[in-house]
Amino acid sequence: MTPETWSALALSIRVAALATILNALIGIPIAYALARRRFRGKALVDLVVTLPLVLPPTVTGYYLIVLLGRRGWLGAPLHAATGWTITFTWWAAVVAATVMALPLLVRTARAAIESVDRDLERAAWTLGRPEWRTALEVTLPLARNGILAGLVLAFARALGEFGATLMLAGNIPGRTATVPLTIYTAVQTGEDATAWALVGVLTALSCLVLIAANRLGARAT
Amino acid sequence: MSEGLSVSIVKRLPGFALDVAWSAGGGVAVLFGPSGAGKTLTLQCLAGLVRPDAGRIVVGGRVFFDAEAGIDLAPQRRRLGYVFQGGALFPHLSVVDNVAFGLRDRPGGERRRRAAAVLERLGLAGLEARRPGELSGGQRQRVALGRALAIEPAVVLLDEPLSALDAPLRRALREDLRVVLREWGIPVVLVTHDFAEAYRLGDRIVVYAQGRVVQAAAREELLWQPASEAVARIVGIRNVLHGTVVKATPDRIQLRWRGQLLEAVNRPGHAYLPPPGAPIAFFIRPEYVRLIRKDRGAADPAHHMNLMRGEVVAEEDYGTTWTLRLRLDEPGPPAQADHDLEVEVPHLVYEILEIAHDRRWEFSIHRGSIHVLPA
Repeated sequence: MTPETWSALALSIRVAALATILNALIGIPIAYALARRRFRGKALVDLVVTLPLVLPPTVTGYYLIVLLGRRGWLGAPLHAATGWTITFTWWAAVVAATVMALPLLVRTARAAIESVDRDLERAAWTLGRPEWRTALEVTLPLARNGILAGLVLAFARALGEFGATLMLAGNIPGRTATVPLTIYTAVQTGEDATAWALVGVLTALSCLVLIAANRLGARAT
Repeated sequence: MSEGLSVSIVKRLPGFALDVAWSAGGGVAVLFGPSGAGKTLTLQCLAGLVRPDAGRIVVGGRVFFDAEAGIDLAPQRRRLGYVFQGGALFPHLSVVDNVAFGLRDRPGGERRRRAAAVLERLGLAGLEARRPGELSGGQRQRVALGRALAIEPAVVLLDEPLSALDAPLRRALREDLRVVLREWGIPVVLVTHDFAEAYRLGDRIVVYAQGRVVQAAAREELLWQPASEAVARIVGIRNVLHGTVVKATPDRIQLRWRGQLLEAVNRPGHAYLPPPGAPIAFFIRPEYVRLIRKDRGAADPAHHMNLMRGEVVAEEDYGTTWTLRLRLDEPGPPAQADHDLEVEVPHLVYEILEIAHDRRWEFSIHRGSIHVLPA
């Protein structure tokens, strides 16, 4: 393998790991809220979070440009304030991977949280625990395996992200060219050996991840 | 009464309305009634898990809920020991952590001592490290009770505490629970749809039907003086019959039923005086019907009141007792499907009287054993 393929692999793992952490921080509270709380706009949150699952990734990527690009709704004020824009940085790859992986985590974690017996939470309340402590001490520990399975799936999804990453981060070797993007370039330029090597690595990683998710899922019941 | 409890609430749900008012002192108050009558919903309102639409809940002098005053204490602040149906033990925590769960605000040493004391008192010592999944049904029930008692609640709420258990265990644990509740001396509200359980465990029974209280009374009063035919049927009283009033006085009621003239004692305390000719409901307990022995000469009407004659048309063996279905020697359709009266006799009596071979009997019912039901 060339230094270029190694750097693509390292970048992919870094992006996927960070996207998974962001998924945990954002996705678990959203999953809990969707499973257990009633609030205005709940259906909208559910819709927006799930949309990247069904939209073409390029469409999601386009929305991210509209939102975060130099002239975007959030991007413009950010650029005005700091002179920095996320597009074509490796952070853009992280954001794209996070958004694309979020529905997988939220849906899996939400189902796991919903399957926790509500009487256990009610029991904790009558024993003096406020709702947020009950969530931390009872609900989330009991939904743990389902949530972990969701995180593993999110990691796998982030690792394989292509379309939205290409839109927001571009395909810059050494900076934003993750494994899927590098495979695309390799095929376009006829570097079959590189393509094969990366395809093999990604396939192996994905298999491992799926096995892990299945084991966790089996233990969740 | 500082340890009393008074509930007066209205809660409307789609297709169901709860509108109940009752109160209880110390001891065990049982909410009894068929499934779907609103008993568990009442417990949830008491514990603050469901917010009533209107009304007031006062426990031990503290106002938990008052719709008009805008008071609604959170469940965390009510300090009620709620024992959920099925136990609701935390499956990821050990027995001792389950019991100590409600003691978080206390210093570590006291928390451990108190949890240990509760486990000891409930006979659970030695099981501290087990997970709920490794306990028997009875042990789980005790841990659930211990977890609720550990917080020294003002009232313990028990929702169908024995319903998840098999019949033999259920009976053993019923007696067990009875002893524990008496020993602990904390006011208890217990929900059940099993009348034997209600009667065995309760001091006072509140009868629920379709979201309303149809009677609230001491347990003996409920059994001997149900407030209406509806209550009699809910508590499972057999031989609920319909006749016609001949004459009613404050002491006695004469009535006609299936061609017989029967005499009943009027309700002590609150006599019921329907006019002659009015329809009247009454009941006769199957175990209070006397079969008359044939080896002691002819029955004496002066001695045996409400004397009747009939035939055993069916019988059921319940292991320790037989239930006989008797049909009177009277023309016309029988009062209950294929028979007029159910009679319950112990096995010994069944054998001595050779009822298996001898199907025709004279029997009598003391006037004190015919109970009239106000319309």
